[in-house]
Amino acid sequence: MSRYLLRKTIGWLAMIVVATNLTYFLANAFLDPRANYLQLRPPRTPEQIDRSLSQYNLSPDTPLLERWWHWFSGIVLHWDWGASPVGESVNDQIAFRIGVSAQLVLCSLILSTVIGISLGVYTAARQYRTADRFLQALSVVTLNIPTVVASLVVVLLAISLNQSLGTTLLYVAGAQSPTITGFWPLVVDRIQHLVLPTISLTVISYAGYHLLQRSLLLDTINSDYVRMARAKGLTRQAAIRRHGLRTSLIPVATSIAFAVPALFTGAVITETIFAWQGMGQYFTTTISKNDIHGAVAVAAFGALMTAIGAILADITVVALDPRVRVTGS
Amino acid sequence: MTANMPGLEPVVPDVVLPEDEPAARRGRRLSRRRLYLRRFLRNRGAVAGLVILALLVLFALAGGLFTSYSYSDVDFTSLAEAPSPQHIFGTNSAGNDAYAQAVHGLQRSLVIAITVSLLTTVIAAVVGCTAAYFGGRVEQVVIGIVHFLLVVPSFLILALVSQRAGGDWRALIVVLTVFGWMYNARVVWSLATSLREREYVLAARFMGVSPFRIVFRHLIPNIGSLLIITFTIGVVATVQGETALSFIGFGVQPPDVSLGTMLSDGATTVTSAPWLFYAPAALVTLLTVSMALIGDGLRDALDPTSRSGGRA
Repeated sequence: MSRYLLRKTIGWLAMIVVATNLTYFLANAFLDPRANYLQLRPPRTPEQIDRSLSQYNLSPDTPLLERWWHWFSGIVLHWDWGASPVGESVNDQIAFRIGVSAQLVLCSLILSTVIGISLGVYTAARQYRTADRFLQALSVVTLNIPTVVASLVVVLLAISLNQSLGTTLLYVAGAQSPTITGFWPLVVDRIQHLVLPTISLTVISYAGYHLLQRSLLLDTINSDYVRMARAKGLTRQAAIRRHGLRTSLIPVATSIAFAVPALFTGAVITETIFAWQGMGQYFTTTISKNDIHGAVAVAAFGALMTAIGAILADITVVALDPRVRVTGS
Repeated sequence: MTANMPGLEPVVPDVVLPEDEPAARRGRRLSRRRLYLRRFLRNRGAVAGLVILALLVLFALAGGLFTSYSYSDVDFTSLAEAPSPQHIFGTNSAGNDAYAQAVHGLQRSLVIAITVSLLTTVIAAVVGCTAAYFGGRVEQVVIGIVHFLLVVPSFLILALVSQRAGGDWRALIVVLTVFGWMYNARVVWSLATSLREREYVLAARFMGVSPFRIVFRHLIPNIGSLLIITFTIGVVATVQGETALSFIGFGVQPPDVSLGTMLSDGATTVTSAPWLFYAPAALVTLLTVSMALIGDGLRDALDPTSRSGGRA
């Protein structure tokens, strides 16, 4: 098992390295850090701009391959992801934001998976009843609603909830209040901030799992081995859970891995709306400020999240599917 | 909206018609087109989607006749005003009429979504089928590119490239197309690899038919139903992508207006002027949901193995 995982991890690491390097060249082609200096007063001469940029390994005068090598060896040798055109270290920015974003993405990934799969099981067992039809119609709407709309509807609902309660129960902006001290107040405060963005990310992503799980489970519920389990004397519930669900979970688990990039895109929007200082918000900042190194670091983070999702999915499949035999070779 | 959601299939096996039933009762043999139409119309969700979409298109085309304002007109006497007989959807903080903007924004978003989805479907069909037909090196390169895009959030690359376009919607179409066809090409490819080994393709190949003729005459027409479905789903995805890009400021940019820029306007004033958010939110949701319902209906109608259409 561990050798299998190791092999998979190495494969994904290679993918991340290739993807990150390709993004570096793309970013160099489309972002021009000189633009950041053009608005400065007093105006700088092109030579001055190039000199300040060359400190940060961003000067267009240096050949691209030379800059790439400097950047790449910096990461490999010192884990230094470079600096923005005005000299802020990318490492500092990422270190501060990565936790914020990972918390948001992973919370909603877990929640949407659990909610989606349980709804799928619940509705498949009650096919064509009112609950099934209602939940399914709801899922079709939430699956297709754009993230912006979903998040803003959540904001509006939360504001009216806060108004009707008379206190601010759920915060609509920021990741935490600046003036909180003490461990437990801080935890409570964090949760109060985390609830709304997590809800809006979960709302847009659970429906895919629900519909997929429902249709897959319906296929297996009517299969011979589930009928056999019923004939052995298992209750309908136990037969569905132990025999039907287990097989139908496998394709759902693989689909989760490839849902992570979509979730990351969703996080860009929710972080903008909820004013979180996370990777998503950093992403928009780096691109609008021509921060090549920052944008590449965001891409690497996105690739890393996908890889983690894919490896988790692999582990789940191995655990669920007795047909998958994992040997070291 | 109740029947035929994605992946839904009736568990009750269809009653098989007795073979010896009188020919008169079976009725006339249906042409393929009428069969598809009948299966589609049986799906209430799909019909509702089609009606909603027709109304939206009508609104985008003819909605401008009912207002004297253009989307760029500025009414300085009413800034950020709630809906009134003068401005039925209200005005934004710059004094633009929200109704005129909604009409124009819907037009813009529809044109972008339909063009991009059409182009990506065509490119995906050609590239996917060509890769599957030739196999070997060509196949490896195409699948390599697709897998690379599954690892990097393609949204990042989209934003990276489209911010250079400076808010021109035609440039946005190009960017969304160039970075949008890969995933569909993979789906087409995986289906076309099984077609590659079919007798009629082999026969054509051994008769010396040129590879491109085989791709265009034998492979692509045989995945036509998949392509139609890909197109409708592509419209949903493009609308979502365009709104997201415009919302964070890398897609359509002012002074041009799309549903995404209207949402971005509405988001900043969602507590003080919520009416600026309601209209674009309702329009964009109706658009994506109706297209998704139509896509489901088409899948059920066109898929020969689908049983949800019943006997028809």
